[in-house]
Amino acid sequence: MGAFGALLRKDLRLELRAGETVLTLIGLSILILVAIVFAFNPVGGAQDAATAAGALWVAMIFAGTAGATQALAAERENGCLRALLVSPLDRALLFFAKMTADLVFIAVGQTVAVIILVLFFNLDFDRRLAAMALPLALGIIGFAALTTLLAGIAGRLRAGALLLPLLAVPLFVPALIAGVKASALALAGAPLADRLIWFKILVAFDVLFTSAGYMLFESVVTEG
Amino acid sequence: MEHFPYLLAAYSIIFVLIALYVIFLQSRQARLRNRIRAAEARLARLDETVARRPRDAASS
Amino acid sequence: MARSLSVLGRLLTVLLMLTAIFMVFAWVPNEAEQGLVQRIFYFHVACAWVAFAAFALVAVGGIFFLWLGQTVFDDLAYAAAETGMLFCTLVLITGSIWAKPIWGTWWTWDSRLTTTLILWMLYGGYLLLRALSEPTPQIARFAAVFGIVAAADVPVIIVSVRLWRTIHPAVIVTREGTHGLEDPRMVITLLVSLAAFTALLVWFLTLRMAMLRDADRLQTLMRNIALAEAALED
Repeated sequence: MGAFGALLRKDLRLELRAGETVLTLIGLSILILVAIVFAFNPVGGAQDAATAAGALWVAMIFAGTAGATQALAAERENGCLRALLVSPLDRALLFFAKMTADLVFIAVGQTVAVIILVLFFNLDFDRRLAAMALPLALGIIGFAALTTLLAGIAGRLRAGALLLPLLAVPLFVPALIAGVKASALALAGAPLADRLIWFKILVAFDVLFTSAGYMLFESVVTEG
Repeated sequence: MEHFPYLLAAYSIIFVLIALYVIFLQSRQARLRNRIRAAEARLARLDETVARRPRDAASS
Repeated sequence: MARSLSVLGRLLTVLLMLTAIFMVFAWVPNEAEQGLVQRIFYFHVACAWVAFAAFALVAVGGIFFLWLGQTVFDDLAYAAAETGMLFCTLVLITGSIWAKPIWGTWWTWDSRLTTTLILWMLYGGYLLLRALSEPTPQIARFAAVFGIVAAADVPVIIVSVRLWRTIHPAVIVTREGTHGLEDPRMVITLLVSLAAFTALLVWFLTLRMAMLRDADRLQTLMRNIALAEAALED
């Protein structure tokens, strides 16, 4: 646990100093939300719940992949990953530390995005909005696991920044479908029973990609 | 003969795409073989020069 | 020996393919409800079977490559991804052409179509990854991981897409259940088509794997040339 805490603190401290990843995430999220408002011209309120939920998830996947690339570029510049890889640390531990850091960044970005969503889509800070927290949280976990695993790949390539969304978005499709549906139902005030099936898919996705990261991260980051 | 154009289009596309892929593979394969042959010849020449050189140095 | 075997294999593939074409166009009876256009179905299903088998091979090759570290498994995975992509493209195109007269539209977000499209994007990403990077062992491992993760994701994709479509109001009433192959000749035609495309898959895989071996050999040769040149310099 000590090593995990140290690794996580290192990532978060680096981020606090530069703030690049979170700022990229927030900036892109706002831009995507604005673009969607222009594109669909929503009236707001409950009847645009589906558009609002969709906008939020689109902002998450595109801002999230950009953020992950940004974090990796920073990592490569200061040579941190290389130093960590020569250390005798467990690779699985490294995965969970990186994933948690990624999770924190995306969660901060999404919180800001939700506040802006409420303004743009004329929503209220009420129980419906709170009900959206669970699918969002589940989606962020899966997305963080996925991008952490894939950023290990894309970070080494010249075209990595381009490639990461191309690899990540199709893999994320099931969580995207389930997440958008569950969020839209939550915003529309549907009962919990209707949303349950989507939560199951989100949980299955999270379990799949967290365990895949745990088992395969070693093969991804090992050099040579 | 209703919908015959659709049937024709579907099967033409299948065979055209498969044929294009085969042609593409064959040409790539031929190019690869040529480059291997050229590289082998070049390596043989280089090896010869490397092997001959100490003798040249000794004689001069 | 290997050479005569490959010639025999090609001969068999061509023969099977010609038989399948003959059966589809001249032998099998028309389907009662959909008529002539239903004949697309035989090669469409064969393409789909080959594409999915190839994508499964990408994951199998990846697992064995990570486990045993032998290049031949990586070559298998790469070759399978490329071949699978070709047949997946054919599935999407022939499906569209069949859907137009039957469903009245080129594309619907039906669960099978959507799943196939997502698969197409997944393995397109895989091929881009391989095309944009140097053929190093590390990239091979990355690709193996992606291939395995993608295959593991497929069941979740299928379930989520199916739920998404059934809970959503369907624009067009799909008639997936109407492939009733009531005539035994239809079943035989389908089986021969499947065999022909499986043979085609094996042929493409061996061809592509041989090329990857050659590319590897060329790389070694170039490295040796560079070494010999460096030796000449000093």
